[in-house]
Amino acid sequence: MSATPFSDVLAALTRQRGVLGSMVVSEADGIIVDSNLQIGVKGNVVAALAASLYRKARLSAGAAGLGTANFVQLEAERGRVCAIGRGDLLLVTVAESRANVGLIRVEMLRATQVLEQ
Amino acid sequence: MSDEIRRLSDELAREPASLVFLPLGEALRRQGQTDFALKVALRGLERHPHNADAHDLLARIAVDRGELERAFDEWDMVLRFAPRHAGARKGMGFVLFRQGKLEEAERYLAEAMEADGGDQSTIAALAHVRRALGRPISEMPPAPERPSDAGRPALPPLPEMPLQPRASGETRISGAHHRGSGEVRSSGEILRPAPSGGGLPEPPWLSQTLRNSAPPPAAPVPDVDPREREALARNPRALFADLIGDADQTALLLDAEGFVLAGAYVAGDGRDVAQEVGAELSGVSDEAQRAMRHLDLGDWQQIVVETEVATIALAPGPRAGLLLVAADGAMPLGMVRRFLDRAAARARSFVEGIA
Repeated sequence: MSATPFSDVLAALTRQRGVLGSMVVSEADGIIVDSNLQIGVKGNVVAALAASLYRKARLSAGAAGLGTANFVQLEAERGRVCAIGRGDLLLVTVAESRANVGLIRVEMLRATQVLEQ
Repeated sequence: MSDEIRRLSDELAREPASLVFLPLGEALRRQGQTDFALKVALRGLERHPHNADAHDLLARIAVDRGELERAFDEWDMVLRFAPRHAGARKGMGFVLFRQGKLEEAERYLAEAMEADGGDQSTIAALAHVRRALGRPISEMPPAPERPSDAGRPALPPLPEMPLQPRASGETRISGAHHRGSGEVRSSGEILRPAPSGGGLPEPPWLSQTLRNSAPPPAAPVPDVDPREREALARNPRALFADLIGDADQTALLLDAEGFVLAGAYVAGDGRDVAQEVGAELSGVSDEAQRAMRHLDLGDWQQIVVETEVATIALAPGPRAGLLLVAADGAMPLGMVRRFLDRAAARARSFVEGIA
């Protein structure tokens, strides 16, 4: 399988402690553009739901007069999902609860440059 | 433009986030430039929506513009953020007096005197209202003597003061003048109803009330005490007021249907847009629930959305409700989460209290 412009970024993100996978997703339809996932992670489901959540957050924040959403983090009992958008692409990370979300956030913010290319 | 206004304007231009808008708005108001004063106050409230002094300023501007109901509402907001604000109670007493609601005016003025027993203008106002009600002035506790009062009368002579018409067209009351250490002088006065359509002449105690209502800073309250709880039950908009303090942040508690249960979200123009914001953002939690069902990650606990201007954090509220806090984008994420935790604890105790 050939490398995509996102391969290095995704691999670096997935190497973070507690990260189960990362992917680049189309915001409009939730389809995976590229991914780096551990075995057992339901990539298609995560991508679809993360895209839907991000889109909803972006539209809601805009409607509430709070500007454009940049970063969305969903925290649950047994894990978390983070999404950051640029243009029509999203960078999505799914992680365990023990993951350092501060570090993941910083890595994702750095990685958005790749989405803009 | 006076030198003082010019200086304050320059200072505000240099530091738009500062509280200089308060003295600037007040200076403009005193010069009669109420339109400019209003703009300055509203701009300041955009950045400091929970600042009691800012709402107090807006209330006094509203009085100058003849908008008594708005003034009352603003002073009501002041009391949410600074429950012991004597100036706000005095101002509300004035508005009620002008509306002919003497009983209520008396209550607010009595509370103002309780909060600041040394304020001579409040004593004069309360004496006036009690005379209008035909009540004995001796019900009032004597004002504490202050060194500055020595050698001069404690109160200026009370003027003949028009009243709003009550049940009858003309009201006769017995006048009284509180003279310092409890001595009361009575005289007969005829108070005529105010001419319809025209504004009421401003009694001296009112001018003093409006000019001198410099409130003491509100002390942060660590927890809800029973009196506050009772007040909150009357107006849940103030549920998070003491947690918010003067910071650029806000909190809302929504019920399972997305309706606002408590909290406020004041827009830049002074409107409370809590319902609109709550309705828009509550959809995000529905999306989160759906995602959690499919991903088998357990119940969702928190959603944080960072936008260009703000950080919004959502958490499940009591009884399938939703708690929403928003803070200025410059606030560190950790502080926003901490604020969310504290607001969640407050929301739980509030819902248990009303259940």
